[in-house]
Amino acid sequence: MKSSAKFVAFTGILAALAVVLSLLENLLPPVPGMPPGAKLGLSNIVSMYAAGCVGFFPAMAVALVKGLFAFLTRGITAGLMSTAGGLFSTLIVWLLLKKLRFGLLGASAAGALAHNAAQLMIACLLTSSAVLYYAPILVLLGTASGILTGLVLGVLLPPLEKLQRR
Amino acid sequence: MNSRFPLFRKRDLLVFLLAAVLAGVGFWQWIPKSGAPVAVIEQDGQEVRRVELDSIVQPETLILEGEISVTVLLEPGQVSIIHSDCPDQICVNTGTLTRPGQCAVCLPARVAVRIVGKIESGVDGMTG
Repeated sequence: MKSSAKFVAFTGILAALAVVLSLLENLLPPVPGMPPGAKLGLSNIVSMYAAGCVGFFPAMAVALVKGLFAFLTRGITAGLMSTAGGLFSTLIVWLLLKKLRFGLLGASAAGALAHNAAQLMIACLLTSSAVLYYAPILVLLGTASGILTGLVLGVLLPPLEKLQRR
Repeated sequence: MNSRFPLFRKRDLLVFLLAAVLAGVGFWQWIPKSGAPVAVIEQDGQEVRRVELDSIVQPETLILEGEISVTVLLEPGQVSIIHSDCPDQICVNTGTLTRPGQCAVCLPARVAVRIVGKIESGVDGMTG
């Protein structure tokens, strides 16, 4: 990235992509038997890319925009949960990927788990500790979806990095 | 593949190990607890009602008013959320709760219904 305008524009594109992906994901019909908060987490692909290849602050900005979007379209509860989940998971992914040199799969799974953990904490504060009932399924589903998004990013990264170098 | 971020490193196993431990501990909590089932109904983090399910004779509906209203049906031995104004209806789809440890939560309405096990004797322990 040469100029700062280009940099800001690129971050904006990433944020828009994250929002669109989470919007598309919400259009999918809910699978019966799935607990609340269990999602594919497609937009985490974008957050991970931002955290790994763009930088810490752009990645956090993407998470904030996503949270704001959830706040505007789905209300306070969803907005709070999305913001907390997004920020915490971005922080974890950035730490694991950039500082602790984890692989994509590990960082992605940890990010998904962090997302679920932060969401559960908010849900816990807003309702009651009964929501912890969902924790074990969320852990399993979160790990699975984390592995999936990690794999997708693994495929996407080489061409993306080529693009970024231009 | 790219060298900057390998898909997998051995240390990734730490994450999966942590997930396995967390899930294991969590599922342990699901094992039904002994004792008579007691329904605890909470709204906005406040306990609204606590009923011993086996002591219910007549079915009773409990309407929790709020921005999003929720209707809870208390029946002999079981409890369920039968109506909610929320969009996702996860709480209604949870179905009927009968055993300690089960719960139904409506996040938009901030309502939780869960069943705890009542300790059989009134005294936990005695010394002397």
